[in-house]
Amino acid sequence: MTDNMFKGFSVPIYFTDKRKMSNTLTKNLLVRRIAILVFTSFSMIAHCQVISYMDSLNVGKYKGMADFQYKVVENDTILDGPFQLQRSNLGALLSKSDYSFLFKGVFKENYPNGYWKFQFGEFQSDSITQVLDYQYILNITGTQEEAEGILDNGKPDGIWTITKNRIKDSELDEVLFKSTIDFENGVPQKSLRIENEGSILVGRFLRYGLAHDEWTLYSEDDIDVVERWYFKDGRLEKIELNADGENKEINLYQSRILDGRIITLDDNYLKILSVIQQSVDTFDLSQSPINKSLAANAGYYGKIDGILSELGESAFYPEFKVKVPYHPIDSLESAQMDSVKTLYQKSKLISESLLNDTQLTILKMADEDAHFLHSVVVAISENFVHPLGDVLSYHESNILQYVPINELIEHAWPNGKPSTEFVVIGQKNENKIFKGPQASDFDFTQNNIASIYKMAHYATLSLDSIQQVLNDKLTKDKRQQEFIALEERIIAQVNQLNNDLDSLSDKLPLKYMKSFEKIKSTADQNLTRYSKMEETKAKTKFGRHLVRCFESMDILTKALAQQPDRMQVIKEKYQDAIWNPFMANIMNEEVKKRITSAYQRVLIPHLLDRVETELDCDNVDELVGLLNNTHQRMLEMRDEDTSRLERKLKREQDPLVIIQLFNLESIGKTEK
Amino acid sequence: MKVYCKNIVWLSVAFLSCFLSTILAQEAEVLPEESEFKDPSTRVWFNTYGNIRISKRLFWDAQTHFRFEETEDTPFIGQIGQIYNRHAIGYIYSKKVNFSLGGVVRINFNTDENSTARNVVPEWRIWHQYQFAQPLYSAMIYHRIRIEHRWTQGFEENSEYIFRNRWRYMFRAKVPLTNHKLVPKTLYVSPEAELIMQSGKEVVGSVMEDLRLTTTLGYIVTPRLTLAAGLMYSQGQTIENAGIFKQGWTMRFHVYFSPDIRKVKNKLPAIHLDD
Repeated sequence: MTDNMFKGFSVPIYFTDKRKMSNTLTKNLLVRRIAILVFTSFSMIAHCQVISYMDSLNVGKYKGMADFQYKVVENDTILDGPFQLQRSNLGALLSKSDYSFLFKGVFKENYPNGYWKFQFGEFQSDSITQVLDYQYILNITGTQEEAEGILDNGKPDGIWTITKNRIKDSELDEVLFKSTIDFENGVPQKSLRIENEGSILVGRFLRYGLAHDEWTLYSEDDIDVVERWYFKDGRLEKIELNADGENKEINLYQSRILDGRIITLDDNYLKILSVIQQSVDTFDLSQSPINKSLAANAGYYGKIDGILSELGESAFYPEFKVKVPYHPIDSLESAQMDSVKTLYQKSKLISESLLNDTQLTILKMADEDAHFLHSVVVAISENFVHPLGDVLSYHESNILQYVPINELIEHAWPNGKPSTEFVVIGQKNENKIFKGPQASDFDFTQNNIASIYKMAHYATLSLDSIQQVLNDKLTKDKRQQEFIALEERIIAQVNQLNNDLDSLSDKLPLKYMKSFEKIKSTADQNLTRYSKMEETKAKTKFGRHLVRCFESMDILTKALAQQPDRMQVIKEKYQDAIWNPFMANIMNEEVKKRITSAYQRVLIPHLLDRVETELDCDNVDELVGLLNNTHQRMLEMRDEDTSRLERKLKREQDPLVIIQLFNLESIGKTEK
Repeated sequence: MKVYCKNIVWLSVAFLSCFLSTILAQEAEVLPEESEFKDPSTRVWFNTYGNIRISKRLFWDAQTHFRFEETEDTPFIGQIGQIYNRHAIGYIYSKKVNFSLGGVVRINFNTDENSTARNVVPEWRIWHQYQFAQPLYSAMIYHRIRIEHRWTQGFEENSEYIFRNRWRYMFRAKVPLTNHKLVPKTLYVSPEAELIMQSGKEVVGSVMEDLRLTTTLGYIVTPRLTLAAGLMYSQGQTIENAGIFKQGWTMRFHVYFSPDIRKVKNKLPAIHLDD
């Protein structure tokens, strides 16, 4: 007995690398093993002795009370026997809400085997209790997910149903999701049925899980079919769907697939289809309701697979199979695609760093060459780098061999592949031609992987050479940190100004557009002037002046954008409610009409006109001051005794006189 | 010649009717078998209504009307029948209720060309009025009770004043047509009905002096000026014989104005009557 006990103490419990059981489990087990072994050591004789575990346990993100059995074989922990992990917390439920789960089933030699049940709940309670037969009863409201079925050596076998129900006062309120799939040794059989968000998807399988016949999605509210996928032995012939009340037909694999491969119906398959579909722009397949239902279903299966994989061995995934044509890729092509990846990453890095370089943004305004090369980088980015990224994603998902290369090229370059020479628009709207280094050596007119590789190579070479030229320019043009910081501020200020000009102009009447255009052009002129200046102290001074100037222009933009609202405020302010004895009601009467008319018809048009014609960095503050002070004075004058002013305003059309009479001049000056 | 003959015929008819009416007047008790309705006469009235604020709650109600009526020679607008001056001091009890008390002097012109009696006689009244307004959807409705104590005399030399009381109730609505409420630059339509009853020693049986049905179209130019025009049908018992009814069609043109002669500082706040 003593021997046994010693033996028991000395038996270490190891988890092999193969095991995915979490660290916490390891820790818990190690900490508690002494206690457990004391209880079990009497019956423990051999290494394969079954040990019971009953304590808290973490499985992935699920932490609950576990009750299971395991044995240790050759230092590996092997789950064997009934397993249960659950959590629910009454205190949490009563105070706010509780999430609960229950995983219950049997393991055999580390494989889930036999009947399994999974429950996930999220509940609130109204905390009203009832006592019935020595039990407290409490109503709960929330959602419950439930999955149940039989697993055979970790693979689903027989009918599996997964449901998500909305529970209201402990009664089933609504079925949010329900999928029923019949498996045989992990392969879906006969048919599937998925209810999701008010739609029902029904589909058929052949014996090996191949999708077959019509997969149809009905809407629960509508008798019409929403979408139909026509399979023939795993080959998707066409999709019919009703999008926005319009019937669409997307033809896919119309003819027999001679050399085909069987793959899983998943996101990658959808990606393949998006290349195959003959009318590219008709429908975004990721929006397909059938795809959405399948994705939802895959999500639920994935959740359970995650839990089972954490515990033991499992392959719990609904492997719906489809057949696609196979376009073999030889080892050379495969190597070329790997090179494309390297080249693409380099091109992307260069183009992004150039396009985000604020120094270059400044330089291109003064330097015609820099402007040209910047435009070339934009063009290479759009015509080479981005489409190459698209093609590469097929290689990385390992599905390049399932799409015809010419169709993939058409998909990535819908307007045709670019050539080695291409035209960009110069600074003065003239056409300029770019030709990269060794352009004559590159011919990517053919539709094959070699061409793709050449394009990637050409793009990298071109970007590399451009970067060198621009770097030289920027280095030659290397300026002190102060300049860079200053320019970043200027650019930030200009961007802010342009954003405000764009966003605020939407709501404004047309007559303000000219002022906005003038602000924009004045800012541009000053910026151009700045970028053309020699790098001297004067340039720094002017740069600082510009920061302040653009700030004021932004304030002016905002003041102008407010002007229509301000005029409305003034209009309402200069109204007096008077009692009309004949109607016996209150009517609004305009008062101080000479003041409001001078404001509306003379003063504001005059200020707008000044902005449109003579706005500059030197007078922007004055104009802002005048606009703001005019509004302020108008608000004040409503309550002042203005009879003398009104007499003087009679038929006055001169804005300068009005500015004087309104007493704005002095305020404008001091503001400035 | 033909015109002359026609005039002769009309004159004789007029003379005869004058003669008959004298007899009927003397035998006023004799009612006709059935009610008799005289041919309607046509009239044109030009009315001005002034409502001048003199303090927070008091206003001067100043109305001057020029009333024309048709005669044989002046068929359409007619000739001046009455010039009518109505004045009162009004009291604004609330925005919806006001009262007035004042006097009327009316100059009556003798429009009977054949009459040898006086051409002009005055008529005196003391009047008081109680007006109530209430909003109804976008429209306003008004009830007006006006009581007048009236001294009138005929055109004959040395004729005695007779005293009568008039009891008037008017219902009126103002419905805006071009706006959702009665505000400036709004056209409105105003149907109205007024019943004028009278009493007094001289009134024997003829208690319904006038029933006036009017429709007016008005335009609110500013809160202080409104123009309106309308057509009125009226009927009522003649004082001579309760069985005989006079009728009339009247075109009415109105100018409503309400200046405020108070100093600016007294005007504010203009509308807060209940403060």
